[in-house]
Amino acid sequence: MDSSNDEAVDIIITNVVATFRTRCHLNLRTIALEGTNVIYKPEVGKVLMKLRKPRITASIWSSGKIICTGATSEDEAKLGARRLARCLQKLGFKVNFSAFKVVNVLAVCSMPFSIHLIDFTKNNRPIASYEPELHPAATYRIKNLKATIQVFSTGSLTVTGPNVQNVATAVEQVYPLLFECRKPLCKQDKKM
Amino acid sequence: MPRRNTRCPGCGSSNIVNDNLYCQAQQVCADCGTVVSEGSLAQDPYNGPEISYSRTTVVKKKPCVNLIQGMERVKEMSRLLRVRKEVEELSLTYYRQAYEHKTFLNVTLQRKEILGGCCVLASCRQQRWPITLNTVSYLLNDDPAVVGEVYHEMIKVLNIQAPAFSVTDVMEAHCQEYKINPGHVPDELAEESRVLTKRAVALVELAADSWIVTGRHPLPIMMAAVYLAWQSLKPNPQRLKMSLEKFCRLGKVQKIKVAGPRITEMKGMLCKLGKEIPWYKQVLTPDNVVSLVGDILQHRYSLLRRAMKAHELSLLEKCPVNSPPAETPSSEVTEDAGQTPATSSVNAENEAGDKDESPKSPSELSDPQAQGSTQNWGKRVLFAPPCVVNPKKKKTERPALHVSEDDHISDSEIDSYIRTPQEARDFAVMQTMLKEQNKV
Repeated sequence: MDSSNDEAVDIIITNVVATFRTRCHLNLRTIALEGTNVIYKPEVGKVLMKLRKPRITASIWSSGKIICTGATSEDEAKLGARRLARCLQKLGFKVNFSAFKVVNVLAVCSMPFSIHLIDFTKNNRPIASYEPELHPAATYRIKNLKATIQVFSTGSLTVTGPNVQNVATAVEQVYPLLFECRKPLCKQDKKM
Repeated sequence: MPRRNTRCPGCGSSNIVNDNLYCQAQQVCADCGTVVSEGSLAQDPYNGPEISYSRTTVVKKKPCVNLIQGMERVKEMSRLLRVRKEVEELSLTYYRQAYEHKTFLNVTLQRKEILGGCCVLASCRQQRWPITLNTVSYLLNDDPAVVGEVYHEMIKVLNIQAPAFSVTDVMEAHCQEYKINPGHVPDELAEESRVLTKRAVALVELAADSWIVTGRHPLPIMMAAVYLAWQSLKPNPQRLKMSLEKFCRLGKVQKIKVAGPRITEMKGMLCKLGKEIPWYKQVLTPDNVVSLVGDILQHRYSLLRRAMKAHELSLLEKCPVNSPPAETPSSEVTEDAGQTPATSSVNAENEAGDKDESPKSPSELSDPQAQGSTQNWGKRVLFAPPCVVNPKKKKTERPALHVSEDDHISDSEIDSYIRTPQEARDFAVMQTMLKEQNKV
């Protein structure tokens, strides 16, 4: 069987999580008072700030560490982070944008066939694990890519990995394994 | 004997004698009584091998108390589940091995108890003794997610393989729970366990083909299958009128809420299949389909084929030119009809219908777009999972931002995120007012 797909499978990135540091202490009360679109959580010790242009939510800690979530690409995450740093600069803090790192990327994609999960798990033990009573999807962890793929029997896939390249490679790696265990869209005599 | 070379540090005299204090050698000045020097009490250096404290003081090597208690608990659980002797022994072996491993050696006692339950589960699965993870978590009185986590860790540590059960394997054990044997209830409502199991298993297999079982908890499906099987074995008005709740009370089992929707789904599937029965001319509704369940199950394969073909024909009629159905379903149908020539009289009609259709499928050559086909395949096929039939509305796609590294972020844009000094003052005043209001 040809391992390269004839029909391109669309991988849609739904979330990119990135962190960076401002290398200066941040006064959360000031940010909460003078910033719009902020939510102050004193019990946890952080401020949530939401940006409109790249739709991003940032968790700001007083140590200067900031986590940005909600971007749909790595570049968008970087732009949002820089915009946030500029915003904090305007508020009066001596911000130094440093240590930007994309920590996690979440993507979904859909196979053009449905998958027989029990066969898939049997062929790929112990990398794949499937516990139908706990979760309807089989989990496939690729160690060297540090990626986790959740395979649903409808053919949908959810992939998480440290960056976009790893996520794409993971989907490429798992495609032939899924293709082996596919079931036709209208099954007649085959069991689940 | 007086030493000649040393002098007493106190008085300076050289009159020093050996005057032993019991067994300690001492040299004393005879004039002033100062102790000039003294020997050590025990002078033999020990040159032998090092002996550790625990080895020299140990009385007898005993296994850890918690390990013994854990093994007793594993034995208890095995006896509660009434498993075979081999299963019990295997679970005890696994428990001993896992307990000694560093992953489980220093965990809480509660986790060690869960480990015991997981060992029982793993050995039951290996010896093909059907129990579910939910049964084990019920025994341990713990969250199934935590039990699942410990189970995965244990499997990794012990490096064993324990194949999971499908719903049909566990069906028999589940059916035996229902107390509706001829001795327990009146004859019109009683049913032999074996007969009930057989029909319920057939129903579950049929449900599996129509995406009712995939990805769902097994227990509500089993309960729905048993209920429908019981009703259909003797479809008298008394049984048909009895609701699920009353049936559970009759069989002395606890009703599961989700079993209701499963019953509805199963009845919907049975209606779709029952429509294809050639000798039943009346209109099928979920109410009167129960009496036909026996016939449907007997001819289920051929009915499935007929239903799918009828569905394809109806799709072709609706849109004959654009968006044709994919070739794979129709080609699958033709293959199957060729492989199983005559299982029932109904099939002869199928083959005649097939030959009419097969020349049509090659003509529809245009490939459907990959995305379109995956998203709409719920509509094209007779049975599909609910998430495909009713897909979530896709959020309007955000326009992709064109980002460049040297993008100048305009001041006005940033200012929109910052309050003016007046706004900040107003905000602070409002907050203090709110606080005072809350205090009052």
